[in-house]
Amino acid sequence: MLVNLDPNDGRPLYLQIMDEVRRAIVVGTLRAEDPLPSVRELAAELVVNARTVSQAYQELEREGIVYVRRGQGTFVSPAVRRGGGERRRSLAREVAKRALLEARRNGLDAEELVMAIQKLAAEEERAEARLARAAGKGDDE
Amino acid sequence: MSGWPEQDRGEAFAVATYGLSMRYGSETALAGIHLRVPEGAVYILIGPNGAGKSTAMKVLLNLERPHAGRAEVFGLDTASRGPEVRAQVGYVPEQHAHDYAWMMCGRLIEHVAAHYPAWDHAYAAHLIEVFGVRPHRKVGTLSKGESRRLQFVLALAHRPPLLLLDEPTDGLDPVVRNRTLAQLAEHLADTPATVVIATHHIREVESLADHVGVLREGRLVAQMTRDELRRTVVRYRVEVPEGWQPPPDLRIASLRRSRAGREVQWTLIGEPDEVTAHLAGAGATVRDVTPLALEEAALAFLAEEVSA
Repeated sequence: MLVNLDPNDGRPLYLQIMDEVRRAIVVGTLRAEDPLPSVRELAAELVVNARTVSQAYQELEREGIVYVRRGQGTFVSPAVRRGGGERRRSLAREVAKRALLEARRNGLDAEELVMAIQKLAAEEERAEARLARAAGKGDDE
Repeated sequence: MSGWPEQDRGEAFAVATYGLSMRYGSETALAGIHLRVPEGAVYILIGPNGAGKSTAMKVLLNLERPHAGRAEVFGLDTASRGPEVRAQVGYVPEQHAHDYAWMMCGRLIEHVAAHYPAWDHAYAAHLIEVFGVRPHRKVGTLSKGESRRLQFVLALAHRPPLLLLDEPTDGLDPVVRNRTLAQLAEHLADTPATVVIATHHIREVESLADHVGVLREGRLVAQMTRDELRRTVVRYRVEVPEGWQPPPDLRIASLRRSRAGREVQWTLIGEPDEVTAHLAGAGATVRDVTPLALEEAALAFLAEEVSA
């Protein structure tokens, strides 16, 4: 798992770390029972206070995303396989929050943003469909 | 406002100063500052060159005598219990020169080790290795970067409960700087300590910080937790009627006004709810409120009009 922090992101660092872990789980680079880096390792890698990492891990534990094995470290919960929908929703929520902030900064409201996203997604879908037709029946993945 | 000694709420402070004042001739270096560094905090002390950051650290080590006020480190008076205080402090001074220029690095390390009962020889050997200190080099011939790395070994090897780091990244090239900061983060994960970092390179150390103090011309103009700074120093984009005048009691750190004059962008200091209500009451509409990066937020206290 690679964790990136953005110094220009105004949110607390522990929230950014939590988001990065959620993202890694959703995209599949972190899977059930995978170990997370130790607090010490991640603190050194990100040059953050170890307490910041601990706080992120504790919050993730409270949310049931990770669990602690005494003396062994922090691991991704086996339940993440099942609760996928929930986690995707909470990740989507964070992405939406950032998009909404950006929209408001540009003087747009939520409705205009949602409409633009739907329109854009539909266009991209049509373009992809055209490509797929042109290539015949392509391979999976 | 923060930065003033309210009640100390029974909190334990690693560093506390009481009306600390210091002059060099007619120059005021510190004008009655009340530092409060909670135990376990990573406190960054920022301010322009000459704002008094280094002087404050020297007073804590009893290397300078204040003209008024006093300082405590873990409850010990720094003026009367200097040696006890220094035994608990790891110090990376701003200047790179060492006192024992003729000594070899290895010899200097042994010499310093003898002063600290808590010196951890195995850890010192580890630090010498990770910081790439070469024991047979003469101290006086070290480059700035090598000298800084040696200072880190000396500051960390006795695992002191308080670290005072004065411009710790000065003289380090970017690669070594990142490695040094990672080593510091690792040290703190293994050895709980309170850290005070004086710097004007905020970005380099901000990810470690949980408390911030801002010195300006010898005065501590802000002192708060990182969370409080994030909450109370934010950017507002505001729509205003033509010819609008801001209410006089806003704490304005920076202001940009669009050409048409109907939109104003401000960094304002204060509780966002109160500021927003205050602006609304004066006929302006807050369009958005954006949090700032730590450096931007902290610099707001240096940009603020002095009259505020």
